[in-house]
Amino acid sequence: MDRMDDKLDAQLNAMFAEYRMACPDPEPSADFMPGMWKRIEARRVATVSVFKHWAQVCVMATVALTLLIGAVLIPRFQDNSASGSSYLEALSAEHSADYIHMLAGGPR
Amino acid sequence: MLVEFELIERARSGDDSAFNQIVQAYRKRILGTISRTIGRPEDVEDVGQEVFLRLYYSLDQLRTPEVFEPWLYRLTVNAAYDYLRRQRRRQESRMSDLSEQQVMLADAAAGSKRRDEEQHRTKVRELAQSLLGQVSEEDRILLTLKEVEGLSLKELEKIYRVNENALKVRLFRARQRVLKAFGAKENKEAVSKAGFGNADDSE
Repeated sequence: MDRMDDKLDAQLNAMFAEYRMACPDPEPSADFMPGMWKRIEARRVATVSVFKHWAQVCVMATVALTLLIGAVLIPRFQDNSASGSSYLEALSAEHSADYIHMLAGGPR
Repeated sequence: MLVEFELIERARSGDDSAFNQIVQAYRKRILGTISRTIGRPEDVEDVGQEVFLRLYYSLDQLRTPEVFEPWLYRLTVNAAYDYLRRQRRRQESRMSDLSEQQVMLADAAAGSKRRDEEQHRTKVRELAQSLLGQVSEEDRILLTLKEVEGLSLKELEKIYRVNENALKVRLFRARQRVLKAFGAKENKEAVSKAGFGNADDSE
């Protein structure tokens, strides 16, 4: 049995060696190098266009956010701060609230 | 090494002419390995271009020029593996295609001796491809690199980044599977036709 296995093993080795000889290294065609550089360039262009796309998306998002802040949020803050009372009125209102707390003996 | 370390360094730093020289030095060897691994001559250049494309965009990840060759072989293994996986998904009948193509080549060859030689080579290729088709794509590539390309276990260790013992186990199992197929009845006929009876003669 072992003898048969050894024989088969040797035959398989011979077959692999013949296969190596039956498939010599092929000569590259004249299109090999130009084709390769074309693919390298295509990948480069694709990578650049992906970056470009994302850059455009970022710019658009920034512009939209700026417009939102400018059109909605800033006027709202301005409305809150311009409540019609002056700085002195706001200050005295704050102090009077402290004074009421003191009279009630509550926390200062 | 087929090129100087300095050339690899130049290519790593973005010198396209240095990269061109590296491709010219290695392309034939790489195409040969791909050819024996995938078994479809018409797709060899396509896979070869893919290997060098991957090399171009991964060269900056190469730690030192000393490990360039194992690196290039690893890219070759990966590209061949991707190709074989795609082929399996397409469920193409590789063997019948190859056989037809090789028969056509043989028919075109002038002279009966040349035709006989070509037919013999065709049979050897068919037999090897059918036997290597008995194992997974990973094992097929590993077995081809070891048995057909003649790479040592040390070289395979560098390519696969796996320790020698693990490689030995994988190779042993893959070889046993191929050996079983080789010994099977349907292949015995092909073996005798292809003329691998030398072991008998020596006894």
